[in-house]
Amino acid sequence: MTQARFLRSARIAAAGLAMGAMVLTGCSANAGNTGSAKADASAQTALLTIPREDMGTFVRNFNPFAPTVAPMTQQAIYESLLIYNPANGDTTPWLASEWKAAEDGKSIIFTLRDGVKWSDGQPLVPADVVTTFALQKKIKGGYDYLDTVTAEGTNQVKFSFKTAWSPALFDLGQLSILPDHVWSKIADPEKDANEKPVGTGPYTEVDAFQAQSFVLKKNPNYWQPEKQKIAGIKMLAFAGNDGANLAAANGDVDWAPQYMPNIEKTFISKDPDHRKYWFPPTGSMINWQLNTTKAPFNDTDVRKALSMAVDRDQVTKIGMSGYTKPADCTGLSGNYETWKNKEVQDNCEWTKLNVDEANKLLDKAGYPKGADGKRTLKDGKPFEFKISVGAASSDWLSVANVIAQNLAEVGVTAKVDSPDWAAVVAGYETGDFDSGIVWTANDPSPYKYFAGTMGTSTVKPVGEKAFENYHRFGDPKADALLTEFAAAADEDTQHDIADKLQEEYSAVAPTIPLFAGPEWGAYNNTRFTGWPTEENPYATLSVRAPTTVLVLTSLEPAK
Amino acid sequence: MRFILRRLGFYLIAFWVSITLNFLLPRFMPGDPVSRMFARTQDRMQPEQIEALRKLLGVDDRPIWEQYVDYLHNMVTGQMGVSISRFPTPVTEVIASQVGWTLLLGGTALVIAAVVGNLLGILAAWRRGGAIDSALPPVLIFIGSFPYFWLAMGALYLFGVTLGWFPIRHAFSDTIEPSFSWEFMSDVGMHLVLPALTIVLVSVGGWMLGMRNTMIATNAEDYITMAEAKGLRPGRIMFRYAARNAMLPSVTSFGMSLGFVVGGALLTEVVFAYPGVGYQLLNAVQGLDYPLMQGLFLTITAAVLLANFLVDILYVRLDPRVRAN
Repeated sequence: MTQARFLRSARIAAAGLAMGAMVLTGCSANAGNTGSAKADASAQTALLTIPREDMGTFVRNFNPFAPTVAPMTQQAIYESLLIYNPANGDTTPWLASEWKAAEDGKSIIFTLRDGVKWSDGQPLVPADVVTTFALQKKIKGGYDYLDTVTAEGTNQVKFSFKTAWSPALFDLGQLSILPDHVWSKIADPEKDANEKPVGTGPYTEVDAFQAQSFVLKKNPNYWQPEKQKIAGIKMLAFAGNDGANLAAANGDVDWAPQYMPNIEKTFISKDPDHRKYWFPPTGSMINWQLNTTKAPFNDTDVRKALSMAVDRDQVTKIGMSGYTKPADCTGLSGNYETWKNKEVQDNCEWTKLNVDEANKLLDKAGYPKGADGKRTLKDGKPFEFKISVGAASSDWLSVANVIAQNLAEVGVTAKVDSPDWAAVVAGYETGDFDSGIVWTANDPSPYKYFAGTMGTSTVKPVGEKAFENYHRFGDPKADALLTEFAAAADEDTQHDIADKLQEEYSAVAPTIPLFAGPEWGAYNNTRFTGWPTEENPYATLSVRAPTTVLVLTSLEPAK
Repeated sequence: MRFILRRLGFYLIAFWVSITLNFLLPRFMPGDPVSRMFARTQDRMQPEQIEALRKLLGVDDRPIWEQYVDYLHNMVTGQMGVSISRFPTPVTEVIASQVGWTLLLGGTALVIAAVVGNLLGILAAWRRGGAIDSALPPVLIFIGSFPYFWLAMGALYLFGVTLGWFPIRHAFSDTIEPSFSWEFMSDVGMHLVLPALTIVLVSVGGWMLGMRNTMIATNAEDYITMAEAKGLRPGRIMFRYAARNAMLPSVTSFGMSLGFVVGGALLTEVVFAYPGVGYQLLNAVQGLDYPLMQGLFLTITAAVLLANFLVDILYVRLDPRVRAN
């Protein structure tokens, strides 16, 4: 190529590109008139549109064992034996019409509902449940208490336990049931993508699967056809909250389950008649956990004093934008509302702001205030420590900052340390941290919560990886109560023991409860009505909870 | 020929160093993929399931040198394993399904920015102190120094939401199926405008200034005076004498940028929910997805080295001084 030709071709290429750019902008101007995003949405009124904020693209994988399963698999395609609703404490029989626990608490028999069919027309049989649990134990583990799962007759399944295990009901009841006639033929159930799922759920038929959107259409054989009032579900992929929030603000989606900052202004104010949000405090209890293997955090008085120094009203108002309420001495979130011990709640001292009392307690416990107003530890070192929070969680970061400010009032210096979450959690796991803002177990029964906050069985030595009880606190008294709880088949007895567990929790203060995590959820009822609300809490507005299917079977197109 | 061989040798060493870094860097990060996944789902995963998950995902507990030998072998044979954050999809499939969009977005933006920027730079230097020279550089540098996502969100809000001229998310509408029809192509083009525009706006200033500065130096050369003395047309002098000689640094940076296009424009992709590899890379880093990270870094490394190699060869054509060496 000679020089001249090279330049000429470069110039032609440049001209071509400029033309291309003009064509692009030109055609965009046309399309703007005919088809904006809003027009697209109204053309498809029949589909319930939901954003998924943490998947940039979808992979066609409907295998519930896959860690990155496509959204709605366990909500719209597969169903569980029963559904527990944390918003009102109700348990709804679902694929099982009833169940009965044995007197000795060592087994439960579930009776399957009559007339339930898989989306391919086959009936639901006990073998389905047996296979599901066999696969679950093999692939994902857990269920260590489970001895055998056997089919009884044509419509019953019996779960036998190694020892009495009362928390089992919800543990077993909320697992998504898979069809035996499909999964027994899958060669590698761990890795199979299950592209055409067969489920009992209301919306099972995968349609128009794209990298960034897919549709689930009606299950033709659903067992509650009268409740399939919407034509289908459309999921949209977003690589972050911002995109999903914009779609919600723009009215392109019907359901917005992701966190939205300043939701009144960014979302509601655009159409207050149709847009609503409801953040019930049914998420997990968010604790400020102190590493109890370290002094001075091994001292109950110190933990209580620090707790009294925290202004929880400020924490929830500033840190959590007022979307949740302060915790009380039971340490239980709104998820466990029906379990709460009224007496402990009423005589609550150590979770209420009381700077004088906090100062007195610290003085008494032997952490004197120096001339500069700062306290020292028993070995003479300054009373200083870190609060670790992942940098990505801006809300929890401001919670930690509020706490640090509050602590300065009682002469304690806390520094907020905010590396990446991964580094923070690595510290929690090995026990190499001072304190941190940490979530807790959130189950229908408070067993796991208390086992994870003060059960000896969950305490791992520093250096060994722990996945719960990061603060490493074990209390033999709580152990005895937990064992009793596990053995109690009857719910009233369980409640009595849970009351005692709360008394013990309040006495020893293993963690410093801050607030119940809100369950984010907002909706736009322009196209669909029948959403759960604070007045009618038949489910939460989560799209990833067991209760989601209750919403899917209640919504109907707006008239 | 010897020149090319020597360059090839250099690139092989560079390649080895970079894939070794790719191997080491992720492993310096604290934690492992499973505990990260656990921390992310917070209360939604049972602690008892962690062991099983670790086994399922094949988290490696072997000594690091064994992993390294294995890793080198896999890299050479092109086996990149299975992604952890998108289990059980193979890494090659994850990358292949998205790199096309990234190339389309990054490539379009790069070519437009480079061509427009260089042309503006040539004109600015040719008429020093003229309108283009005095007004554009400060404006473009001002725009270019905006935080990337801010500009993207601003454009998105103005042109997408308020004016409604352009779609506000994804690479194509969810109502049409991908095909080689005019309808689909124009839809893709529409979706490309805003993301590409923001990248162009941010990067065009750099191209322009770079070109302008070298061009000014070239303009002072004797051969330009000579060409003017001969009475050549100004346009001819501008493009064939001055611009051609000033273009070499631009070619280098074009090659570099071309390689980096493969890594994706993370922030743009996130704001516009564009299905490129940028978000996937972020996800892989956050989730400590070693296989996917290695795969992506390998792709980026290979692309940068390849682009540089091509530029090296192109240089031989463009600059006789290199040949003489």
